[in-house]
Amino acid sequence: MALTPETLPRHELNGLPVRVVESDDASRVGLEGRVVVETTNTLSIEVCVPPEAERDRGGNAAECDEGASRVVMVPKSGSTFEFAITDDAADAAKASGTASKLADAKPEPTEESSAGSDCAGEDVAYVTVDGSRLLSQPARRTETNGDSPWQ
Amino acid sequence: MWRRQKHADVTVAAERIDRLHELARAAAADGDTDRARYYVRLARRIAERNRLALPREFRRFTCDACDAYLRPGRNARVRTRDGHVVITCDCGAQARYPYEE
Repeated sequence: MALTPETLPRHELNGLPVRVVESDDASRVGLEGRVVVETTNTLSIEVCVPPEAERDRGGNAAECDEGASRVVMVPKSGSTFEFAITDDAADAAKASGTASKLADAKPEPTEESSAGSDCAGEDVAYVTVDGSRLLSQPARRTETNGDSPWQ
Repeated sequence: MWRRQKHADVTVAAERIDRLHELARAAAADGDTDRARYYVRLARRIAERNRLALPREFRRFTCDACDAYLRPGRNARVRTRDGHVVITCDCGAQARYPYEE
């Protein structure tokens, strides 16, 4: 039960590389960085601001370790996020053909999350999740009992 | 470990705790103490909600009183006494752990 495209909405989001694919606010579309803080209604994304010279060359935002970075708070509702999950998670996605399996197992969340997990590169899987699926207290997202939508 | 053999969502919770441990350690190493504290608190909350015991390493490297991630020499004093180690956080809280010779 590692971090796979299926478990991602219930798993830890802090620390994952993320990109805002869609948002009600056009200025937030395309934001790329790492999730650093999660609250019930927002994700705070640490975005690297490359120095001018690097920006011209199209510096890779996800790669920069030092240098300026700022934290942008993005509301979960009204946004669509694309998480990049690495290592064994991607292999599992390839093996199981995630999209079809998701449709069989959980018909209800299909429209949001089945778009996810097209594999690019060796061991990176991209998972697209509608932000409204993540609306929950961070600590309670994992739970499956009660009236939880994560069942 | 027994906690890994439990129910599937409990496994997710245990993994979240492990990830948060790493994040807290990294944030503390970067000098970002408040963010480390946030990760520690979240991990504690997840353990509490899912009735999991926190890993021993996590327990020993966090302050029970202020949730700081402890880095011996930086924000924690480590002193050996007769039969036990005393770890003092910068907030003043002390924790004692026994050791065998």
